[in-house]
Amino acid sequence: MKNIFFVLLFAIVFVSCDRPIHLNLNESQSRVIIEGQVTNRAGYQYVKLSRSVDFYQTGALPKITNATVSVKDSDGNEVMFIHNPNNKADSVGYYLPQTPFMGVIGKDYHLRVDVDGEIYEADDHLYPVTSVDSLAYRIDDDEKDDPKTYNKFYEVLIYAKEPHPSKDYYLFKFYRNDSLKLYNDTDIYYTDDEALGESINGISTPIFYAPGDKATIEAYSLSRTGYVFYDDLQKLLNNDGGMFNQPPANSRTNLSNGALGFFQASAINSASIVVEE
Amino acid sequence: MIRSFSLSFAVFFLISVVALGQEKVTLNGYVRDVSNGEELIGVTVYIPKMSAGTVTNPYGFYSLTLPKGTYEIQFSYVGYAVQTVTVDLQGDVERNVDMLSETTVMQEVTVTDKRVDENVVSLQMSKNTLDMNRVRKLPALFGEVDIIKNIQMLPGVITAGEGTSSFYVRGGSADQNLILIDEAPIYDPSHLFGLFSVFNADVIKDSELYKGGIPARFGGRLSSILEVRTKDGNNKKLGVTGGIGTMASRIMVEGPLVKDKASFIVSARRSYVDLFLRAANNDNLVHFYDVNAKVNWKGNNNNRFFAAFYSGRDVFNFGNQFGFAWGNRTATFRWNHLFNERLFSNTSIIVSNFDYKLELKDPVQGFKWTSNLEELSVKNDLSYFINTNNDLTFGYHITGRRFSPGRIAPNTEGSMFEEVNLQKMYALDHGIYISNQQRLTDRITLDYGLRLSIFQNLGATDIYEYTDPQDNSRPVRTDTLHYGAWQNIKTYVNLEPRAAARYMLGEGQSVKVSYNRMVQNTHLIAAGTVPVPFNTWNPSSPYLKPQLADQVAAGYFRNFKDNMLEFSAEAYYKSMKDVTDFADNADIFFNQDLSTEFRQGKSYSYGLELLLNKKEGRLTGSVGYTWSKTMRKIPGVNQGQEFPANYDRRNVVNIQAAYDYSARWTFGATFSYSTGRPITLAEGKYQFQSYNPDIVTSRNGYRLPAFHRLDLSATYSPRKNEGRRFKGTWVFAVYNAYNRQNPFTIYTRVTKNKDGDTIGDGYTKEARMIYLFPILPSVTYNIKF
Repeated sequence: MKNIFFVLLFAIVFVSCDRPIHLNLNESQSRVIIEGQVTNRAGYQYVKLSRSVDFYQTGALPKITNATVSVKDSDGNEVMFIHNPNNKADSVGYYLPQTPFMGVIGKDYHLRVDVDGEIYEADDHLYPVTSVDSLAYRIDDDEKDDPKTYNKFYEVLIYAKEPHPSKDYYLFKFYRNDSLKLYNDTDIYYTDDEALGESINGISTPIFYAPGDKATIEAYSLSRTGYVFYDDLQKLLNNDGGMFNQPPANSRTNLSNGALGFFQASAINSASIVVEE
Repeated sequence: MIRSFSLSFAVFFLISVVALGQEKVTLNGYVRDVSNGEELIGVTVYIPKMSAGTVTNPYGFYSLTLPKGTYEIQFSYVGYAVQTVTVDLQGDVERNVDMLSETTVMQEVTVTDKRVDENVVSLQMSKNTLDMNRVRKLPALFGEVDIIKNIQMLPGVITAGEGTSSFYVRGGSADQNLILIDEAPIYDPSHLFGLFSVFNADVIKDSELYKGGIPARFGGRLSSILEVRTKDGNNKKLGVTGGIGTMASRIMVEGPLVKDKASFIVSARRSYVDLFLRAANNDNLVHFYDVNAKVNWKGNNNNRFFAAFYSGRDVFNFGNQFGFAWGNRTATFRWNHLFNERLFSNTSIIVSNFDYKLELKDPVQGFKWTSNLEELSVKNDLSYFINTNNDLTFGYHITGRRFSPGRIAPNTEGSMFEEVNLQKMYALDHGIYISNQQRLTDRITLDYGLRLSIFQNLGATDIYEYTDPQDNSRPVRTDTLHYGAWQNIKTYVNLEPRAAARYMLGEGQSVKVSYNRMVQNTHLIAAGTVPVPFNTWNPSSPYLKPQLADQVAAGYFRNFKDNMLEFSAEAYYKSMKDVTDFADNADIFFNQDLSTEFRQGKSYSYGLELLLNKKEGRLTGSVGYTWSKTMRKIPGVNQGQEFPANYDRRNVVNIQAAYDYSARWTFGATFSYSTGRPITLAEGKYQFQSYNPDIVTSRNGYRLPAFHRLDLSATYSPRKNEGRRFKGTWVFAVYNAYNRQNPFTIYTRVTKNKDGDTIGDGYTKEARMIYLFPILPSVTYNIKF
C-alpha cells in the first residue's frame, strides 16, 4: 500500500512534458542474472540464467546455457536442473528439474549455480499462502468511460482471509485467458499485511476484462526477503531519477557473489472465473 | 535551574562590563516608517561626532548609551531618506524616530546625500536581505510573487530545479534550513509540491537569510535561517491591497484599531484552478490557501504586544476517490518589554503544527492516513545595550515537540484495513545563549557568543533493540525498552560557539570573518532530492545522532560610487558530521523499523560567492556568482565511497534587474544559469520475468544538462492612478522567455511510442528528460486603496 506515493508524486507532472534524451553512459560490467522459482505446484519450478548488458543495447539478453544448477531442500534432497531439456527455441537460458518435484510448505530451499567456476547461491523459505475464497466481477465505471484496452472494463473482485497474527507477504499475478497481464509494464502486485484486517471482501483487480474472458488470479507467498526484492524492484522500475523518489538503486537480493535477480520459494493458490455479461 | 545559570552568568558579565562606564545617559526608542507605523529593522543609527553607533534590533528598537552632551544623530535605512535628529542628552531620553520611504517621497528620482553603507560596516556577513520593493518588480512564475524563488537566486543558495520550494544553502540539505514566519517554524514551505511557497508576498515586511556567521540567538538547524517577518498593519489609516492573478487571488486589509497605538492586518490568498476545473466539469480538484493575521498593541515603548497567526493548506481531490492535503498552522504571541532604557526583552510563545492526510475512498480498499508534528516554544531574548561599544544579547529557548509519524485507519465499514499507529515520539529542546557585540576600535568590531543546546528524547515510547540495528532487509528485534511519559530516553548536549569579526580597511571597504557551529536535532525523513509534504520528521534518538556543522567564512566587502554599488566576495568551508542519510532502497513511509534505514555520515562543502548589488537609482539589481562543491561520505551508501550531494551544482550565475523607466512603466528581468544537478543513472540493464530493470552503479555519477532561463516582466501604473486613492497596476510577465527545455529529472523506460505502446523488441530502453515550464506568459492585476 505504500506504492500509493508513486501515484501521487506523479501528480506534479500535471505541468510537465518529457522528451527522449541520449545519455553518454559508461560501459557497464556484465553481471549474472538469476531468476529462480520453487513452488508447491507441479511444473512451476525453473531457473533462468542470463547476463546483463549495457543500457542502450537492443535485443534479448545473452543467455547462459552451460551452467550447473541444483536446488536442495532442508532435508538434503537435491535436484539437478538441466538446461532446456526439451530443446525449445523459446526456452534458451531456462533450466528445468531433471526429476519433476514440488516444493513443500515449511521447507528451506537452497539454489546453487555454477557459471564457469563462479558459484552463486541463494536461500529462501517456502511459506504458506492464504486461499482465495471466491471471485466475483462487476463493471468499473471509470474504466468504462475510458478503457485502457477496448471493451475491457469488468474488474474481478477477490474475497479472501488474511491470517493473523502471522506476518505475511504476497505476490499476485493476474491472467486474462491464461495470458499474464500487467496494467502498466512496470507494475508489480505485491503487499505485506501491515494494517490489513482479517477479512478482505471484494478487493478489485488492476486488470480489466470483457465478457467471455477468463480471469485467473494467482497468489504467491513471499518471504520477507522476497517482499523486499519486489519492493526494491518496483521502486527501481518507477523511479523518477531521484527528484522526489530516492536515488535509484539495485534491488536487494538473496543471491550471493554479485548476481542480480532473485531465487523465490512460494506456495501458490489460484482461482478463476469467466466474466459474463 | 538552567535558566538561573544563564541569568547569573549574564549578570556577572554585565557587571564586569558596566563597571567600566562613567557618567552616561541613554537615548533609546523605536524607528518606524512614518506612513504606516511599521517598525524598521536594521536601521543604522550613527553619531558622526563619536563615529559610533548601532542598528535597530529585530523589533525596531535601538538604545545608545553616551556621555552627556548634544548630539546630531543620523538614522539611515535602504529605501528611506536619511533622518538627522539633534538631541540634547542631559538625562535618559526616549526618542521614537519616523522615517520617510523614498517611494513615498517621489516615484522617479531618488536623491540622498548619504547612502547606507551597511554592507561594509555591518558586522554580519553571509546574510542576504530581500528587498521586497525590488522583488515585486521582478518577473514571477504565473505572476505569483514568491520570496522563496528569490531566495533561490541568492549567492550560496542552490535550487534542485524550477517549480520547487526547497533550497540548499552552502552544502546543506533542504531540511537544514530553519524557516521562520514571525518566529514560528514552517516545516514544509510548499504549495502544489513546491510550485509556490507558503509566503504571500503582500503581507511580508522583510525576510533575511543567514548562511553563515549565524547569531547565537538562532539554533536548531545546520545550514541557514530564513527569517520572514510579516507586517504589523498600518496604524495610521485603513488600507486594502489585492491582486488578481493567473493562479491565485489575494486580498489584504490593514488598519488602526487605536490610531498610532494598535493595528491589525488580515491577508488571504487562494488559488482558483479548481474553480475553472469545476466549471469545466472536471472533478479533479486542487487548491491552496494562506491566511495571515496579526494584531498588535503598542501602547507605549515599555510594553508592546503582538499576536500573529498563519494557516495555509493544500487540498487535492481526484474524483472523490482519492485525496490528500497538507498544511502548516502557526501562532506567535510576543511581548516586547523594556526593563529600562538599556535592557530590552522579547518574550514569545510560539505554536506550530504541520500535518498531512491521505485518503482513499473505496468500500474495500478505503483508508485514511494522517500524520502531524506539533511544537510549542517559549523564548526569552534579552538585549542589554551596555554602552556604545558593547551590545549584549542573551536568552533561553525551550521547545517541546510531539511527532506523530503516522496513523492508518479504515474509513468504511467494509474496509480491509485495520487501525495501525506508528509510535509517537517526544522531544524537549533547550537553548541557552549569550553573545556580545563589541566595538574594539574604530576599525574592529567583534561578536562572540556561545549557545548551549540540551536536547532530550523523551517517552512515552518503546525503543526496539535489534541484533543488527542497521539491517533493514530483515530487522530482528531482540528487546523492547518501555519508557513512560516524560521519561528521559537520550540526552544530547552540545556547545555551539559563534564568532564574527569585521575589520574596516578604509573608507567603504572591510574584511569580515566568522565561525559558527550549529547542531540539528530534528531530522527530515526524506530520501529524495526534494522533500515532499508526506515526509515526516524524527527527533534525535538512540538511533539518530544530532547533526553537527562547523563553518568558517571570510569575506571582502566594498562599496563603490558613494555606496551606490555594493560588492562582496565570500569564501566558506563547512564540515558536517552525522548528516542524516538513508540506506539504498530505504522504506521511509510508514515503517515500524524506520531506525534501521538511518545512515549518518560526513559531508563537506566549500565555495566562493561573489555579489554585486545596486540598491538605489532607477536601475536596481544584482549579479551573483557562486562556485561551490559539496560531497558526502556515508557508510553504507555508495559502497562507502564519497559522492557528490544531490544539490552539488558547481557554477551558478543569477542576474536580477529592475528598471523604473517612467512613472508608468517598470521593467524587470532575471536570468539564472547553473551546472546540472548530479543524478544517478543506469549503466546497464537486465530482464527479470517481464520486467526490464536498470543496473545502477554509482550514486550521483552523472549530471543533468545545465539549467538556464530568462524571465521578463513589465509593471504598468495607469495615469489615472495619480491623485486618486484607488490605485491599480498591471503586471505582465513572461517566464522562460526563450522557451528553454530545462531538465527537471531523467527517468528510463522501455521504448514506447506517443500512445504509450511498447515499440521495438520490448527490451530496448530509452532515457527521457522531464522538463516543466515552456514559455509562460502571465498577467496580474493588483489593487491598492
